[in-house]
Formats: sequence, structure tokens, C-alpha cells
Amino acid sequence: MLELSRRQLLRSAAAVSALALVPVTSLLAQADDKGVHTILNELIKKYSDEAKASMSNEEVAALFEKDGFRDYLDVYPVGDLAGGFVWKPGMGATFTGPHSKLEIKSPFTDYLPLPEGPVLDPDKKYRIGLVFHGFNHPWLISLADTASWEAARHPNIELEVIDAEFDDNKMGQVIDTWIAKQYDGIVLWPSREAPMGPPVDRAIAAGIPTVSLDRRTSSEVISSEVLGNFYANGLQQGLYLKHAAPDGNIIFNRKDLGSTADSIRTGAFLEVIGNTPGYKVLANYHTNSQRTLAFKSTADALQAFKDISVSFNTGGEEAMGALDAIREANRLNSAPGGKKIMILANDDAREVLKEIRAGNIDMVSPYTPLIGDIGIRAVVMHIGAKEGKNEAPPKLIMTPNLPMITREKMNIEGIETLTPDEWPYAYGPEASG
Amino acid sequence: MSAAGLASPSASRLGPFLAGLLRDPIVWLIVAIFAVGSLTSEYYLTAANIENLMRNIAVIGLLSLGMTVVLLTGRIDLSVAALMIFSVIVGVVLMAWLGSVIGVRWLVRGNTFAGPTLAVMGIALATGAFVGAINGIGVAYLKVASFIMTLVSLTALRGFNYVLTNGHPYYLKSPLFNWVGDAKLGPVPVSFAIFLAVLVALIAFVNGTVRGGRFYAIGGNEKAALYAGIKTARYVVLAFVISGICAAIAGIVFTARLKSVDAPLAAGYELTAIAIAVIGGTALSGGVGSPWRTLLGSVAFAAGLNLLAIWGVGTWYQNLAIGIVLILSVGLSKLSRKKVQS
Repeated sequence: MLELSRRQLLRSAAAVSALALVPVTSLLAQADDKGVHTILNELIKKYSDEAKASMSNEEVAALFEKDGFRDYLDVYPVGDLAGGFVWKPGMGATFTGPHSKLEIKSPFTDYLPLPEGPVLDPDKKYRIGLVFHGFNHPWLISLADTASWEAARHPNIELEVIDAEFDDNKMGQVIDTWIAKQYDGIVLWPSREAPMGPPVDRAIAAGIPTVSLDRRTSSEVISSEVLGNFYANGLQQGLYLKHAAPDGNIIFNRKDLGSTADSIRTGAFLEVIGNTPGYKVLANYHTNSQRTLAFKSTADALQAFKDISVSFNTGGEEAMGALDAIREANRLNSAPGGKKIMILANDDAREVLKEIRAGNIDMVSPYTPLIGDIGIRAVVMHIGAKEGKNEAPPKLIMTPNLPMITREKMNIEGIETLTPDEWPYAYGPEASG
Repeated sequence: MSAAGLASPSASRLGPFLAGLLRDPIVWLIVAIFAVGSLTSEYYLTAANIENLMRNIAVIGLLSLGMTVVLLTGRIDLSVAALMIFSVIVGVVLMAWLGSVIGVRWLVRGNTFAGPTLAVMGIALATGAFVGAINGIGVAYLKVASFIMTLVSLTALRGFNYVLTNGHPYYLKSPLFNWVGDAKLGPVPVSFAIFLAVLVALIAFVNGTVRGGRFYAIGGNEKAALYAGIKTARYVVLAFVISGICAAIAGIVFTARLKSVDAPLAAGYELTAIAIAVIGGTALSGGVGSPWRTLLGSVAFAAGLNLLAIWGVGTWYQNLAIGIVLILSVGLSKLSRKKVQS
């Protein structure tokens, strides 16, 4: 019988981490002693404090104010990793994704680890539901891949994976069905915060531990939230821009207004550049994670403005759409002074890394979908806590901040960037060509 | 076109009605779903699952009821899902604005609406009726094809939803919203009771009054109805107004369950409403169908999906099942009409 205390978990995490470090010493040499997570959190605090004190760039300040970024940024958790975990590049397990059939190197499999084999009461079958949106989206398939991989390591876990097809009401109904079926645990990837709070509240009221992945819900009683590193994403886009160019005319391709990804990434980016007078906001589009919309908006912007120097993109899909439009218009080198239009991206899809290698996209802040396994482990620990077998994991489970990826190695405000060849965690299919 | 055979039961017609019911394939489909559900899953007939089922029926059922009335006239309303969200958003935004005018802050931090909920609901209903009337006037008087008119409304309302909310959700956590979304009257969720009330009212009007019967006349043969002295345009407008009000009520029930309203919600639900009306036997060409049969369609649709969900069938396969059931329903409905006519 597996009975876990948090101390045991931490000890095993440290042991597994140490084992995982052995073959990757060359990568580790790049990491600062205190870890990239801590460095980035310190920079987040620095730029956030400066932006709160004042934002001298009026155009940036106006956009920041109009979309109410402060409300979102102030409540987005920034903090230490659970149990003092320190992530270093190179850590994690390699496997074939059960859904995508792609080879995956998952970065955080050593975070809050569970040993392979039956969990908790080995004579009991634990039924866990994972509901998310988008079996047709590489990022989300990868999320499901990691969750299913973790579940498959434990023979007494039965995982049901349901795609709610971006219908929040349907996701609520799925959760209600699992409540009726008296599931042992629920893990969800909510698209939007507001509508998913009530179903989570109902699950918790029914005594079912519930864990959200990546995005948040409006529930205040949710068992745990496995949070991504949106703040570090937008921050690093801003740091790169400041490092590479003291001025520039920016067009924005953003996700849905009100989504956590847009609010935190774009807000953090604006916080970093908000006190540099040389940046202008030329155009601001919401392309809702759709490559085709990002293509169209960028094509429109290229018609409207002859002096675009920066394309800020809240996600990888947007960046690829923007790049396609810029290439099709033959405008890659049409920034003032004949310079290349700088393309800033998030999400470390393999095709984005390919464009970084080629010098077309300038940087990407990794936002890994490979966190589903943490959700499964967290919900198992909550079930264990309910059964009195172990302590519950923390309510906020921060995932490690990841360093940005650039074509050449750089040091930007203490962050050692990694090159695409040093990044084994990219997701999605290999890009052709 | 007569509504005979599709009408609601009355005391004098109870016998033939029940006999007709037993001959109806959709009734047997529902019986089969429940039988298979109870035999294959220990959870299917539990109180918790039946409660889920009733709540699921409420929203799609309300949308489908409005759609049925429009379909009876030989028109279609594609704007219902966008309108159900729009009407609630207008209610919240208008009350928040009114609050600012009189110096009261009804939209508090975190975009939570803290003003009078009844007023929001009233404005939502009025908005539903108003937008329905605009759709109806466009179709009946300006002679715009209903598909085009309501497609334009759908697109415009989706846009308005974003404009009015600026992409941010509004939280609706008042006791009245909680009551509509979560409370029960005995074993029946309030939302389902609201659906039943609307259903009874529509059955009484559409199948129990001369004016209601005119929807069938218009859908069956509009020219004949016109020559018979029926002011068809007015009734077409009325059908869209009823559809708008049903959409607004569905919006209130829907957002009360989610305790929030958000611009992108309920995308594509207009197709579900059409599907349910068709499964219930309403003809897309008009003149055939009834709110009562839409209830049966709603139950069959929701119970079937619920059974698939209980079995753990993925949503892709659920969509496939909807498509197959829809094709079968249309086919069976055509066959049974041919049989009645012959």
C-alpha cells in the first residue's frame, strides 16, 4: 500500500531530480544557482513595481489602462514551487504520447512525483475524469498526453478523457455527470474562468477532489490549481524587445480579451516596455488563438502601416499566422531602416522552434502543455489526503518559469537564453520543410 | 395544414392521444433509452443523474420551443443562441449604467453584478422580445429571407456581446440567480419547472387557440392563409417575438447555472435547437409540429446524450450519434406523414 507524506514526496522528488540531472550536466552549467524560476520571479516583481509606480509611455499606458490589465496581474499568483522543487533544463521523462503518438520529453515529471505502480489502496480502482477542450489542437493533445501517461503508470487508476469542444456548458455537464457517477477525482483544463467555477464548486461539495490545469476557474474552493507561467512569458517578450531595440512600432495579435493567457502575457509585456518612451502601439487585434485570424490581421496591418517593426503575439499560433502574412507580403525586412520585423512569440511548438532556427521568429517564451501529469498526481494526492493516507498538496501548484529560446545564446538581465537545439521539450508534430 | 395528431391532450381527446402516443416512434425511442440506461448503468436512473437530465433539457428545450413556433410558420431563427446571451448582457450592462446614473455602483470589483436581479431579468425578456420583433419585421415586412435575416442578427449579436462586455465576464451571484440555477421545487429543478411552465403556455396558445392555429395555416400554405384573411405578417412577427422571449428565458436559466455571462458562450446552440425541433417532428418546411412534440424531442435528445456521457463515450461520437438520430428522425417523420396522408 502506498501511503505518502509530503516529506516523503519531497525526499523522493529530490532523489529523482538528482538522478535526472546526471546526463545533462552540460545544460545545467547554464543555469544560475538560484534557478531560472527565481530569477524570473524577481524580474516580474521589479517590472511590476516600476509599472505600478508609473508608466511613462503614454500609448502603452493607455492600452494597459483600457483593457484593465492591472486587475488581472494583481491576482495572478507568482511564487515558489511546491516543496522547494528546483527545476533545471534537462529534467523529466521521455515517452510516446498516448494520444498524439509523438515522442515527448516532459519537463516536470519529477515535480510532486508518484512512484510507478498502484496508488493509495492497491485493491481499489480509482476513477478520475480529465475534461478539456480541443483534441484537434497540438498544445491540448500534448496536455492530455502527459495526463494519460501518468495515469497509465498506475494500474489502479482508470482515467476517462473527454473533449468538451470549447463549450463551457458542456464541460459543466461532463463534470455533473462525473459527480452523478461518484468519480474519485476530476482534473480539468478550463477555457474561461467564470463559467467553470460553479461546476467545480458542485464537485467539491460532492466530496470529489478537483484540480485545474494551466488556466484558472472562478471557484474559491477548488482543491488545487496547477498554474502555468504566463507572467514569465510576457515578461520575457518585453525583456527581449528592450534588449534588442530601444524603440519600435508594434502590432499586437492577442488571444480572447479576458482569457488568462491574454491578460497576463500581454499585461506583463506592457509592464516591461511601459517606461521606455520609444515604443508605439500601431494596431491591436484579438485573433483568439487562430492562425487564420492572425494572418488576416497582420495582412491588414501590413497594408495600413509601412513602418511596422515589431509583431507581438500572445501565442505560437498567432506568431505563425503573423509570419505567414509577413512572408506572403514579402515584408520580412520592411521595418524602418530596412531592418527585419521582429516577431515575438509564446508556446514552444516544434514549428515555432524551426522558424527560430531559420531566423524568422526572433524569440519564443516556452509555455509547455506538458503539465497534465502534475494534475493527475495532484488529484491522486488529494484523494489520498481524503482517505487519510497522505498530506494534500498545496492549493497553488506553480509550474517552473522557463527561459526564453533564441537563435543564438544570449544573456538578458541575468536570463541565459537557450537555443532551439538545447530545448528538448517542444510539442506538436515536426514542422515540414 | 392541420395540427391534428400533433396537438396536446385535452380531456375529450385523451384516449386517441394516448393511442397516438403509443404509435409514436419517438416515445419508444425515449423508453428504449431509459431502459438501456437503467440496464447498463447503475447511475443512469439515480436522482442526481435525473436532476442533471432535467437541467440539460431546460436550456435546450426552451430554445427549441421558440424555434418550433418559428419553424411552424415555415421560417427559421438562427439568432436564438446569440440572443440568449445578448439579452442577459444587455440586462446587466443597462442596469450597471443606470446605477452609475443614479450614483450607485452595481458592478463591483471582479465584474460581479450586485444590483437588482429582477430588473436584469425583466430587461433580458424585453430585449429578447425586441430583437425577435426586429427579426420578424425584417422577415415579414421587408421580405428578407429568414435564414439571411437571422444569420445577420446572429453575427451582429455575437459582435455586440463582445462590444458590451469588452470580452470580460460578468458574474451573477445574487440569491435570485442562485435560486433559478440551483434550487429545486421538490425533486424538480427550478430551471426545468420554468421550461415546463413555458411549454404549457405555448401548448395552450399554439394548440389551444384560433390565433395559435394560424401558425400552422401560414406554414402549411401562406398564400391560402393570406387569402383567407389572416394577417400573415403579424403572425410571423409574433412567432419571432415568441422565439426571442424563449431565447431570453433560456439565457436567464443558462447564465444562472453558470453564475456568469460571457460573450462567447453557447456558440452553435441554434443548431441544437433546430435539431431538437426536427427530432420532435417539426417540419423545416412549416405547418407540422407542436411544442408538445418538441418536449419529446428535447427529452430524447438530452437523455440520449446523457446515456452516452454515462457510458464515457467521447463527444466526437456523441456528435456522430446526433447526426444519425437526426437523419433517422427526418426520415421517419416523412414516412409517417406520407402514411397519414395516404
